[in-house]
Amino acid sequence: MAERCAIVGSGLAALAAYATLRHGGIEPGGIAVFGTHADPTEVWRTRAASIRQRRMRSESEGHVAAPAWPGLALRERRLTPVWETLTNRYHPPVDLFLRHADAVRARSGWEQSFRQRRVERITAVDDGFELDGEGPFAHVLVATGHPGLAFPERLVGDPRAVHAYEPHGYAATVAIVGAGMAAATEWLNALAAGAEVVSIRRREPVRRPLNVPRPLLSKRGLAPFHAASPERRASLLRELSTPSYPSGPEWDEPVAAAEREGRFRVEASLNGAEQVICATGFRRGYLEDALLARLAADHGLETHDRWIVLAPDSTVPALTDGRRTLSLAGAAAQWAFPAADTIAGAKYAAHAFLRRICRTR
Amino acid sequence: MSYTLRGRVESRLGAAVPALVVAIALQRWWAIELVALMLALGLVLDLCVYHRLFAYQPAWSALPLGAVELGLTYAAMRALDIRAPLDLALLLYGVAWLSGQLFAHALYPRLRLEYAEGGGELGRLGGATAVAVATVVVGGLGAAYATRQPTVHLHGVVQGPIVITRSETLVGGVVRGGIIVRANHVTLRHVTVVGGDYGVNIEHVEHVMLDRVRVVGVSLDGIRALDAGVMIDNCSISSPAGSMVTGVLVSYSMGRPMSMVSGCTIAGTREGIATHSSMVDVMDNRVVDTTERGILLGEMSMGMAHGNDVEGAKGIGIICMDRSVCEIDHNTVAGARVDGTEDPTRGGVAIEAFFYAEASVHHNTVVASPGGVRAFDNSLLEQR
Repeated sequence: MAERCAIVGSGLAALAAYATLRHGGIEPGGIAVFGTHADPTEVWRTRAASIRQRRMRSESEGHVAAPAWPGLALRERRLTPVWETLTNRYHPPVDLFLRHADAVRARSGWEQSFRQRRVERITAVDDGFELDGEGPFAHVLVATGHPGLAFPERLVGDPRAVHAYEPHGYAATVAIVGAGMAAATEWLNALAAGAEVVSIRRREPVRRPLNVPRPLLSKRGLAPFHAASPERRASLLRELSTPSYPSGPEWDEPVAAAEREGRFRVEASLNGAEQVICATGFRRGYLEDALLARLAADHGLETHDRWIVLAPDSTVPALTDGRRTLSLAGAAAQWAFPAADTIAGAKYAAHAFLRRICRTR
Repeated sequence: MSYTLRGRVESRLGAAVPALVVAIALQRWWAIELVALMLALGLVLDLCVYHRLFAYQPAWSALPLGAVELGLTYAAMRALDIRAPLDLALLLYGVAWLSGQLFAHALYPRLRLEYAEGGGELGRLGGATAVAVATVVVGGLGAAYATRQPTVHLHGVVQGPIVITRSETLVGGVVRGGIIVRANHVTLRHVTVVGGDYGVNIEHVEHVMLDRVRVVGVSLDGIRALDAGVMIDNCSISSPAGSMVTGVLVSYSMGRPMSMVSGCTIAGTREGIATHSSMVDVMDNRVVDTTERGILLGEMSMGMAHGNDVEGAKGIGIICMDRSVCEIDHNTVAGARVDGTEDPTRGGVAIEAFFYAEASVHHNTVVASPGGVRAFDNSLLEQR
């Protein structure tokens, strides 16, 4: 079968998209996956291991297989996770999520479609897109992931500093910069390691169970988002990108206990800590991603602030028509789906991509 | 799940399919009517309440919302006079609720990848399913209406006996000389019967319903059901024209659907309510001044006497006899009188098990009945 579809990227969003296409009946021979990692879980696995993450922030259906059911709670083969799912308190163990992702990859035929190569340029041609001259592919989904780790400028070159998503240990006194999920996880890690922790943050963290309010994960909340003006939409996306982590005693109690012992305090700026952990997330915006920056410049794509403007179905309007599709998935697709950098976001883009392929097949 | 309004409606209609299949399999119009009622109530709640109230609806809310909908469905069922047996109605509701959960949490997400992000909308499949369900329900209701029992309204006094040989509903009026029921699916409502051997004589039929039937002045039995399945509700039997009258007699009906006698008032007969070789629930009746026994569950009957008031019975208030198996609970027996024969089994016994009968007796109130609660002649009487 001729390759009509291509996925650019080889992370979790790419795997979710690949599993969706396979579920939709497209054979491995009809899909080409271009990426730098043969194992689509590798990058995420390293980051999760670095912050010693044990539980996902997502819930039972936050997995990379195409159908949401059965979710990860059922795969635990115990009643407690199922009950916790009903009450929105279930967060799958990271190792279960990764084992399941490995199983999805193994049975999907990923290896048959994978080509280890970084795509530098996407060029629109009459009947699709060329990827560094290869192709054309009628339908291309770009899922290149976060463009890199965000490092505070003043800490670049500081020997004490390490990013939370890079492997590290803990010194006796640790300053943790940031106030999101990774920072909160690192507070607990460092405290458990016996360190004295200073939280460096500019604002109090937002406490939210998921990355975005739940209605924004479905058509009901997305309809007003899609109908909003570009300014309003960008403002909402900026608001949603403020650091947050879930509430609950598992987060609060260790910190409160350490505060009482004088081992945890909050400060606005760095002091003389032995180690500085930057839980500052990722670089943001299409300009930080060389491939996307080039794509936008080459084709004069409409952009707003740090986002490429997308249609509600995650496609690039100027490069999508009855014969071809260019879709974005992952963090770069927030203009269509605010939680685009989650598994739910990856699937949202993948579903729309599959619909378009089915329509034009 | 954050449902869109369309998603709510499509999901609900699609998930109604199993309940609709069960309703069709039951081959009873009330079942179709009940499914239609559940759907109508659900859709009204979706439109007017749920969509406004829940921008996000957690999975656990299905339990309290299901309980609320059950209560509303029951109330509407009573208000609209849908005559569904409670156990089957609950079963049907259970099927509908459970299939709603299974569809929403497993089947829809399995079949339609975008189900959650689409707010519960089912796409083209949803539209087709909604139309199909609506067609079947509306068609079923139409068929139920078209084939409904003919209703005959009686006015004034009618000379009987009247013999009913087809499914129909008889409403109102006064019938002299009794009514004979010889067809299934017959309903008598607000009918008064005066005189005759039997007030209402039902033989070899089932699904017969007597609602607020009044019988006076009969010479044998007020209501007699032989080899029949009957529901007798809120009847009144009084002023017997002889000393051998039984108020309600259900006999030899073991092969028929279970019968029920509830909410009746019976006064001055020889026996108030008697069952022989039948499965009958005798509930919430008032039996006064009987001359032989208040309530009799006899001859290998299986049944329950629950919540009855038996007052001034001569000899015996409530008896389970002749190898019957009975549950006798929450009854009040007051003033059971000694009948003057020196026979201890008739010595003003409030509740009695007699001749190899097995009676489970609990939470009854016995007042001024010298014979108390007793077992005779190899019977078992278990008291809790």
